[in-house]
Amino acid sequence: MAMQPAARAVTVWKIYGSGEAQVQALRGVSADFERGKYTAIMGPSGSGKSTLMHCLAGLDTVNAGEVFIGDTQVTGLGDAGLTKLRRDKVGFIFQQFNLLPTLTAEENIKLPLAIAGRAPDKAWYDTVIQTVGLGDRLHHRPAELSGGQQQRVACARALVSRPEVIFADEPTGNLDSKSGNDVLNFLRDSVRHHGQTIVMVTHDPNAASYADRVVFLADGEIVDELHSPTADGVLDRMKKLDRRGDADA
Amino acid sequence: MIKASLRGLLHRKLRLTLAIVAIVLSVGFLSAITVLNDTLNKRFSGLFQTLNENVAVQVQAKEVSTGETPRLTAAQLQQLSNVDGVNGTSGDVSDEAVVPFKKDGNEVTAQGFVGVGASGDDPLGLISLREGTWPKTASEVALSANTAKLAGVKRGEIIKVFVSQVGEPKPYTVSGIVEFSGGRDSLAGESLVIFELGHAQEMFYGQKDVFAGASFSADSGVSQEELKKRITAALPSGFEAKTGDEVTEEQSNQLAGQFDFIKIILNTFAYVAAFVGIFLIYNTFNIVVAQRSRELALLRAMGASWGQVTGAVILEALIVGVVGSTLGLAAGIGAGMWGESALTGALGAEIKSAGVVVSPAAIITAYVIGILVTLIAAFVPAIKASLVPPLAAMREIARPDKSLKGLSITGAALAVPGVGIALLGLYASFTGSIFVMGFGLVLALIGLMLLSPLLARPVVRVVGMAVAWGQAGKLGVRNSLRNPRRTAVTAIALMIGVTLIGAAATVVSSFKHSLQADIGKYDVAIMIVGPNYAPPNGKTGFEASALDKVEALPGVTGAEPWWLTIESSIAGQPIPVVATDVAAAQKMWKLETVGGALRTLSAGEFVSDHNTAKSLNWKVGDSVKVRVGTTERDYKLVGIYKATPSVSGPVFGLPAVDDFEGKLAYQGFVTVAPGTDVAATVAATEKIMAGYPGVTVGDMSTFLKQFNQIFDFLLLAVTILLGMALLIAVLGILNTLLLSIVERTREMGLVRAIGLSRGGVVRMIGVESILISVFGALLGLAAGVGIGVLLCQALIEGDFLTEIVLPWGNLAAYVGAAMFFGIVAAIIPAWRAAKLDVLEAIAYE
Ligand SMILES: Nc1ncnc2c1ncn2[C@@H]1O[C@H](COP(=O)(O)OP(=O)(O)OP(=O)(O)O)[C@@H](O)[C@H]1O
Ligand SMILES: [Mg+2]
Repeated sequence: MAMQPAARAVTVWKIYGSGEAQVQALRGVSADFERGKYTAIMGPSGSGKSTLMHCLAGLDTVNAGEVFIGDTQVTGLGDAGLTKLRRDKVGFIFQQFNLLPTLTAEENIKLPLAIAGRAPDKAWYDTVIQTVGLGDRLHHRPAELSGGQQQRVACARALVSRPEVIFADEPTGNLDSKSGNDVLNFLRDSVRHHGQTIVMVTHDPNAASYADRVVFLADGEIVDELHSPTADGVLDRMKKLDRRGDADA
Repeated sequence: MIKASLRGLLHRKLRLTLAIVAIVLSVGFLSAITVLNDTLNKRFSGLFQTLNENVAVQVQAKEVSTGETPRLTAAQLQQLSNVDGVNGTSGDVSDEAVVPFKKDGNEVTAQGFVGVGASGDDPLGLISLREGTWPKTASEVALSANTAKLAGVKRGEIIKVFVSQVGEPKPYTVSGIVEFSGGRDSLAGESLVIFELGHAQEMFYGQKDVFAGASFSADSGVSQEELKKRITAALPSGFEAKTGDEVTEEQSNQLAGQFDFIKIILNTFAYVAAFVGIFLIYNTFNIVVAQRSRELALLRAMGASWGQVTGAVILEALIVGVVGSTLGLAAGIGAGMWGESALTGALGAEIKSAGVVVSPAAIITAYVIGILVTLIAAFVPAIKASLVPPLAAMREIARPDKSLKGLSITGAALAVPGVGIALLGLYASFTGSIFVMGFGLVLALIGLMLLSPLLARPVVRVVGMAVAWGQAGKLGVRNSLRNPRRTAVTAIALMIGVTLIGAAATVVSSFKHSLQADIGKYDVAIMIVGPNYAPPNGKTGFEASALDKVEALPGVTGAEPWWLTIESSIAGQPIPVVATDVAAAQKMWKLETVGGALRTLSAGEFVSDHNTAKSLNWKVGDSVKVRVGTTERDYKLVGIYKATPSVSGPVFGLPAVDDFEGKLAYQGFVTVAPGTDVAATVAATEKIMAGYPGVTVGDMSTFLKQFNQIFDFLLLAVTILLGMALLIAVLGILNTLLLSIVERTREMGLVRAIGLSRGGVVRMIGVESILISVFGALLGLAAGVGIGVLLCQALIEGDFLTEIVLPWGNLAAYVGAAMFFGIVAAIIPAWRAAKLDVLEAIAYE
């Protein structure tokens, strides 16, 4: 059997509002996200990156088309099904406010397992903790951690339940380049060494260069893609896209 | 600036609504009680206005005199009616506790029982014949239409009527039915029996042609004051004249006085509810402003001054306060009107309504409480918000736990001495020691409230272990601990009501057990108790001679009558006068002699229990002034006995009964030989007492059961009256949860995004709610039981109680109820949180 993609969109349409104010955020987007690969989604602001990610993750409904996570069809799932999907198959990393302020870093990391009522796989948990590299700060509350540290905790939390795919929306958007690189390295290592699948939205060509593949979105459509990207290569494509946008206007 | 602030206000409809609801509830109940009071007062004073409609002057015996109550003779009355300016004259021949019987042999139940003597049409026009004739002979009576209806008799039929001076019900023929001016059946639902004048005078006063007083109407053009002056000049000694207006005022004040007790109680509970409301308003506004601290910081960063920021918040609070108070006042007026119609529907439907009265005091109280509390509640967090450096506040709100040290030290500094002072007040005996105890308790309570944030952590942890299951439950525990002050203030609102209930339950349970234990010590097997439709004064109850018949029953070894009047004062204090054969009482109640002798008393002698003697500084041989009705005499203290829960207070001999309004005994106690059939004796005694209206007979266990029922009813009444305070407290929990959820919207989204189900969110919030309510209940029970035990100890010192028994069943039930209320309070917040859209929640600003 051929390797099934970890996440898959099939001619997904997403339309906000109606009449005059109608916005077609996604216009028949189809894309496969390969298992064990690190995919970045790029595109101008308002091109539908976040929307695509939310639809893939089952956080938002689609108007037409289908979405799969592994062999599970996401479109059409009820709340109970979506809850189970989030528990078992997907992980999230947001741009900001990723942690519960009442829990320590360690408790935050273990939270998805606790919610699902699963015991952590000791070896995997140790590996994740080691990779986060927080050391003695594990027992501190989020308010006592730097932004980069907080985001690494959020990454560890997404990793700890070994989801089919992790979605990250501009995870480094709020960080300086040093902390950002720490987080990006962390994510790439989890893909390289542990076979994790990651889909990441980003604006930053440097961040995109950590990925195995970059998918370019413009006006709700996939317009281009790049394998084993470099920061310069990405920047080049982005410029072209911008020019295309200008020409359209 | 102001515009921005006001727009912010309207933008947050939920928070705005909650703040206003908080004010409306607290202000509403207080307003309702005030409006109800004022409205009922006006309505009752309206009653006396119609009663005295045509009375210009009334002549009455003077208040206190020695010896016989003076009477007006027919000749004197004639003389007074000849005074210039007198139009109509109505001699007063009347008595209370004149009770008619229904055909089935049971007495009529009515709002008061009046008997009068009349010879024909009422010269003052208050009463007139509806059908038939006035009574012409000593075997006829006329009845008010209401009485005829209550007794189920018609003109020409026979009715039995009890008059205390006669001592047994006598049959009369109904000669006519009368009505009150305006065609009313009664003035206020009372029963009225009209005898032939001479017959009434003979029964009430022992001789014909005498009157207790008289009312006069005036010729047109003669003022009440003028007529009073003229009549006073012609008055025989021992009498005084009052204008109709004076009489009306006196009577309504007297009636109002009877309602004062209820009024004070209702007001107390209304203020408790308002006090609880203060916490609700404070917490709501506090959270609302705290949540806006980022927005306020932004304004500060843009150059708004400290004063501008604070001013804007205060303006908001003022608007919310005014709106809330107005709505609360309106709700209170509505509830007051509803309360009046509900109450009078049951009690005095016959009294004409005088319209709703909204006094200035009610309006002022409503606005003062509503606005002031809101302003204070908003001011504190506004100051705090404006003092934080703008940038610090704009960063993600990650308020580290503020130290509770100062608060807790202050709390301990109040609580510990408070308990000490309360104990001092309890055990040291000096005048006003009860107030010292109260002061100590208040200090201790405030201290406990200040300590409650510190207590929240351990208590919530422990309770959490019992109620929180799963990760959702654990998150709920965390959430309720993240802001101990907020949890504590929310819980305190509940604590206040529970404290009062807990204290009442402790006292009631101790009373029940003590009484049961004490009664068991005596041989008294059967108790006879007079009616409760009128305050005891010798005119209600039974003839002592009836007990001779009881004593003759097989197996009965003793039957002792006790007389009781509350129309009395001893050494200037309103203490009831109780009379019996003290020698027999000493034997029956095993009274222990502390000083002097407990023997059959002669005129001018009395005995007292040691507590009363101590508190009033009496020694054996002391002379004390005692007033019974209108007669005041000196009595000598000849003996002191040790008080028991069953017997306490001053006790007089049989001669004292001569001064009572009537000669009927109010209580009787019967002892029987072992092996006697008590049930049969009770039945026989009941038969002997059948002719005395309202007299009940029962064995001790029946009476104990009745006492227990009364105690339970009192406890229930307290609980119901505290219902409003509890409701407000539950609303407080709901408020705090709703606002906290708004504050944690993004967290809700986050936990949902990583796999918490809707049910999990519901559980998380339910646990938080239960923890807050149970914490409040536990605080309240700790305080309440503490207060209850102290009160019981004080009562034990006074020999009213013998033991303290904690009501474990009740306490457990209160905690259970708190859990239930916690769940109820969580319904709306949990529902709101569960239906949050995950994406929107995460994006929530
Ligand atoms: N809830 C919504 N209601 C209406 N329109 C929306 C909504 N969310 C997004 N849009 C519109 O859909 C389009 C795509 O938005 P999306 O957030 O996916 O863009 P994006 O590529 O993530 O942009 P950015 O890089 O700025 O985050 C935009 O035009 C946006 O205005
Ligand atoms: Mg986006």
